[in-house]
Amino acid sequence: MAPLVELVGVGKGYGSATAVHPLSLRIGEGEFVSILGPSGCGKTTLLRMIGGFVTPDEGSILIDGRDVTRKPPEKRATNMVFQGYGLFPHMTVAQNVAYGLRIARVARTERARRVAEALDLIRLADLGDRAVSALSGGQRQRVALARALVMRPRVLLLDEPLSALDLKLRLAMQEEFRRIHAQVGGTFIFVTHDQAEAMSLASRICVMEAGRIVQDGTPEDIYRRPASRFVAGFIGEANLFEGVGSDERVRLSCGTVIPGAGAEGPIVCVVRPEAVTLAADPAALPDQCDARLFATVEDVVFLGPEVRTTLRTDSGAQALALSRTAGPLRPGDRVTMGWATADQQVIAA
Amino acid sequence: MRSMAHIGAALTAIFMLSPLVILVIFCFSESPLLAFPIEGWSLRWFDKAFSDPQFTNAFRNSMIVTGAVGVTSTLTGTLAALALAKLPPRLATATAAALSLPVMVPPLLLGVALLTFYSTWIGLPLGLPAVILSHLVFTQPLVMLMISARMASFDHAAVEAARDLGASPIQSFFHVTLPMIGPSITGGTLIAMALSLDDFLVTFFTIGGGMTLPTLMWGMLRKGIDPSVNVVAVTIMGLSIAATLIGFRLTRYRG
Ligand SMILES: Nc1ncnc2c1ncn2[C@@H]1O[C@H](COP(=O)(O)OP(=O)(O)OP(=O)(O)O)[C@@H](O)[C@H]1O
Ligand SMILES: [Mg+2]
Repeated sequence: MAPLVELVGVGKGYGSATAVHPLSLRIGEGEFVSILGPSGCGKTTLLRMIGGFVTPDEGSILIDGRDVTRKPPEKRATNMVFQGYGLFPHMTVAQNVAYGLRIARVARTERARRVAEALDLIRLADLGDRAVSALSGGQRQRVALARALVMRPRVLLLDEPLSALDLKLRLAMQEEFRRIHAQVGGTFIFVTHDQAEAMSLASRICVMEAGRIVQDGTPEDIYRRPASRFVAGFIGEANLFEGVGSDERVRLSCGTVIPGAGAEGPIVCVVRPEAVTLAADPAALPDQCDARLFATVEDVVFLGPEVRTTLRTDSGAQALALSRTAGPLRPGDRVTMGWATADQQVIAA
Repeated sequence: MRSMAHIGAALTAIFMLSPLVILVIFCFSESPLLAFPIEGWSLRWFDKAFSDPQFTNAFRNSMIVTGAVGVTSTLTGTLAALALAKLPPRLATATAAALSLPVMVPPLLLGVALLTFYSTWIGLPLGLPAVILSHLVFTQPLVMLMISARMASFDHAAVEAARDLGASPIQSFFHVTLPMIGPSITGGTLIAMALSLDDFLVTFFTIGGGMTLPTLMWGMLRKGIDPSVNVVAVTIMGLSIAATLIGFRLTRYRG
């Protein structure tokens, strides 16, 4: 099936600086894609090119098979929720939401019905007559969302819509986004720099670094099989052990040799903290832990559902283990870190 | 110490306001002498001033100049501010500074410079059109600066949102940009009109034979002070205070 949104070699620079290196991306109907990356990596630029606010220097953008590269925003089947919301300050909530329908000359009764429906969807049905200046941050955010959703866009573009909200509200809104996506369908492209947000919302994540998409996959894929050291460090917590790979084995910089296929030459071995088991006596480690490493316990923190143990390996690298129970470990103890090589990812450094 | 400061401030205020108060009081005095005590009250000086054909002529000229300056400086000032907002920030700052130079030139110099420019360089005859043009030189940058100040805190995402929702560039301008900067435009217009209305120096040099209210007053003063001069002064004062107050009120953007 043809993708709904297709970018072909799309790139953009500002002066001599490149914001987005030429990249290609295909997004299907109904997908919830997150564009994830640190500040300044080009997420907004990429999103604004899809929305028609930035003209690419090269490449072409197709929506529903039609080339829209040179089309202005009002001629595209996309709608955007802006980072600063961009609400119309001189209009009420309902007028804000109705604006797009008014421009499209939707009949008055139909318009009122759809506005009411949209306000219902974002649970602000009672605030239609409010001035937007009299809304809280979370409510403004919802109005911006309703204003875009009321247009029933084929593609909804969201630029860090939750970044101005506090953590609790953000979590609540993430749930709303999932509900709304399930309810209205459509393709959502959601830009964020918060990896937890991307993981919890999207069914597909494109990780960006310095103007490039460095990995594109499901949240689980990206978490378990990070394609680079950057991705491994950016998504969740990771132990990054440096070493050299050869002949299906890896010699870590502390001298330990562990099984590990994947790469020749300098490598990084990525091990998620929850995959690590700790034991004072190596013999006590379960059999599937075929990779082992000596370390010294630095700190043990009890967090309720899990226990965080920070360690230092003999080569001086920091390490982290998450476990259900604390065991008898104390700072200063010598322990063996063990993990299954099936849980590790060896990446060429 | 505190009360000393208060008394000082009060005395300064009284000193600054008393000429204006006296000016207004003498408009209503019966006597042709501008002296206390005031023996009786009347409106005869208003009668005298308003029925003087010179006054009505000057009043008409003032209205023409102020109206034309208001409309034109609003249009050009707004367009200039909108253009500035599209320039890269550093270029915009430099351009705004260059465009606002006339505001910083002393009016006397401006008057002389314009007179020379009109008569020896472009051969523009002196008169109301020359006055209007001259007033634009210092009012238009003012309007531009006031609207630029508003544009600096302007939420461009709102305009982009309008485009995103299907509005053409023109629709988004009229539906979003204009309502958002509207109060600043009206405010700028009224303040430009107030400045134009009571300008004496630049008008004096560029009007040639005619008169506006301020130049009329100047002529009357040379013949000797009688309370009808005060009436002219109070008329100018009333009109410009009204324009300025409305202007300031509207520029306080609520939102
Ligand atoms: N209008 C512009 N002029 C010049 N440079 C720009 C412009 N817009 C963006 N850039 C640059 O392009 C790069 C990418 O910017 P972009 O806004 O896309 O980043 P981002 O990933 O959205 O960052 P953030 O998470 O901080 O919003 C940055 O280095 C930025 O400085
Ligand atoms: Mg951004």
